[in-house]
Amino acid sequence: MTKEGLITLALAGQPNVGKSTVFNLLTGMNQHVGNWPGKTIEQKTGTFMYNGTRFKLVDLPGTYSLSANSPEEVIARNFIIKERPDVVVALLDAAILERSLYLVAELLPLPAPVVIALNMMDVAEQEGMRIEPHVLEAALGVPVIPMVATKNQGVRELIQAIDDVAHGRVKYHPRLPEIRADHRAVLEEIEALIDSYVPEPYPKSWVALKLLEGDSEITEMMRACTPDDVWEQVHAILMAHEDAIIDVAGGRYDWIRRMVRAAVTRPKAGQITRTDKLDRWATHPFWGMFILAGILGMVFWLTYTVGAPLQNLLDVYVVGTAANWMGALLVSAPTWVRGLVMDGIIGGVGTVITFLPILVIFFATMGLLEDIGYMARAAYAMDRFMHLMGLHGKSFLPLFLGFGCNVPAIMGARVIESQRARLLTIMIAPLVPCTARMVVVTFLAPIFFGQAATLVSWGLIGLSLTVLAVLGILINKIAFRGERAAFIMELPLYHVPNWRTIALLVWQRCLAFLKKAGTLILVMAVIVWALSYWPGGDVETSFLAQFGRLLEPVGALMGMSWRMIVALLTSFIAKENSLATMGVLYGAGNEEAKLAERLSGTLTPAAALAFLVVQMLFVPCVATVAAMWQETRSVRWTLFNVVLLLVVSFGVGILVYQVAGWLGG
Amino acid sequence: MLRTLLEKVTTGGVHSYADLCRELGVSESLLEQMLMDLERMGYLKRVGTDCERHCANCSLNGTCAISQGGQVWTLTEKGTTGR
Repeated sequence: MTKEGLITLALAGQPNVGKSTVFNLLTGMNQHVGNWPGKTIEQKTGTFMYNGTRFKLVDLPGTYSLSANSPEEVIARNFIIKERPDVVVALLDAAILERSLYLVAELLPLPAPVVIALNMMDVAEQEGMRIEPHVLEAALGVPVIPMVATKNQGVRELIQAIDDVAHGRVKYHPRLPEIRADHRAVLEEIEALIDSYVPEPYPKSWVALKLLEGDSEITEMMRACTPDDVWEQVHAILMAHEDAIIDVAGGRYDWIRRMVRAAVTRPKAGQITRTDKLDRWATHPFWGMFILAGILGMVFWLTYTVGAPLQNLLDVYVVGTAANWMGALLVSAPTWVRGLVMDGIIGGVGTVITFLPILVIFFATMGLLEDIGYMARAAYAMDRFMHLMGLHGKSFLPLFLGFGCNVPAIMGARVIESQRARLLTIMIAPLVPCTARMVVVTFLAPIFFGQAATLVSWGLIGLSLTVLAVLGILINKIAFRGERAAFIMELPLYHVPNWRTIALLVWQRCLAFLKKAGTLILVMAVIVWALSYWPGGDVETSFLAQFGRLLEPVGALMGMSWRMIVALLTSFIAKENSLATMGVLYGAGNEEAKLAERLSGTLTPAAALAFLVVQMLFVPCVATVAAMWQETRSVRWTLFNVVLLLVVSFGVGILVYQVAGWLGG
Repeated sequence: MLRTLLEKVTTGGVHSYADLCRELGVSESLLEQMLMDLERMGYLKRVGTDCERHCANCSLNGTCAISQGGQVWTLTEKGTTGR
């Protein structure tokens, strides 16, 4: 095989496996750097002497496979086919052996013997992998030389193995990847058809395989070389077996698994074992949901136990003190100015700001769950559960990926190709309990229900998800017609929380919340106050009361006064406005009584529960409605959604009030 | 093995990398390469690759599972029919 006494070697390998190091070790100073003919891709060649033989080493471009996906892959395979090197040295990264072997699976069918240099053995060892090169060699049927190129280990053995193969001193019987039996017959059929037309020096079986794989370069070449009638037959076979590419590539993966099975033992690293053990529970379709529900309950419990007293303190000392001071300061100011500052600003925005401690705790616990890697599991467990209930994964994944806010949930519906299914998914997206709604519930639940607040909040989330699920099942039946959908999720490893990250997260979210309180909520509080003051300076005869009373018949069905109905309506601008509005309408800026006391005195438990239910299911905030319009580009559908949610929320609210009232007595 | 992977996925539902690796008897890095191959062949696609643009200004983007570094894949129409 030697040409003019010179042995030509090709060095093949994936990027970053240490090809340059090995190339330099072998050739030393005898290198030449140029370009591959007609390309701007660098070509390095070099020479070295061993046992009186001169070797020429050509560094092939780094590639993961030898398909026609990139110019580098075409250069590498064309060099081996056309230049026929005496030996191809396949340099592999032992630490990612399976992945590296894919290239070997493609090299072996080419007309040049392969010697495997198994580099980075030290890294593999550090990662806990035990590779037995002799076992691998026996499985592959080609020489395997373990190496640590950076420490100059194994280089001499590699040269010796190359020399042996080049001079035919060792038997070379590589075990090649195979493809599935039914496609094997197809392969033979193609090979027989193209037999006399494959140009030299291409190996016929390889060309047939590449045709079956849909390789663009080889298909073009064969179309030009084959008579039309024969090509038509070949083409017809290829069209009938378009999916053969799965079996050709799949055959290589099967081969990899067979090759490494005996040669590699991989004791699992501590972190992976821990993640695996935890995930067996956290991602279980039933226990996963159970754990998720438990964790949510804990978050609420913690928020209420620690946050509610702090909120109370802020209410008494900060809002109360501010109200006292302003009251004294504005004693001689016109009544409307006093009202605006005391009832509008302090009552509205002040009330909203008092839940900062609640928010800090809520955000911190959620941030902790995110940071340790639990939230991805929550989405996963939820998805699996929804799927088991017969829901379509494609409509639920976007919803649950957008856990915190409805806007990304609506945007996420883009993963759904079908226009109809996408639209319907967008329609139910606002039922995902968003953070802002949770804030309102977090504030009101302890006021209305005291010790039972955790249970109520937990039940409200459950209710939201149940309504979502019922609508989702309907959508699955109507839009997807029971079609299957699937997702593959990578779940990051669990890790020790980074307190800095969590602190930063809490800070950013609190800042965003305060900004909202200072702008949108402030403006709305002032507007609500103005409408509740004029024309007569009395809430009961104000514009807002007149408007609210129009809605009182609906409110009466849920035991709610017009004030509560108005509070609900203002949540359309931002969910937290419900609280600001209550602050204004129930006179939280007034030093005589705190909002909490006034509220708990005005509503029956059944009405309070109905209010929270409606709040959870109500028309989403204006930002969500805008996103909906942007994504659907339809005013009709956007309006339909607003009406739908209005009907659903009031419907369920009325039902809850009536049933709770009946149960209560 | 690619066909087995595709068949497992087309039965529907949500699959984690760890489950698939266990069922197929391969390492996570090889599974990833198989998923990329199926993507190249047009059977799978990545979800949420255009998320960053939309979520850049959202104060809640941390609560989104997509942004947590885990890759999510879904079947394409071609992947659903298996042809």
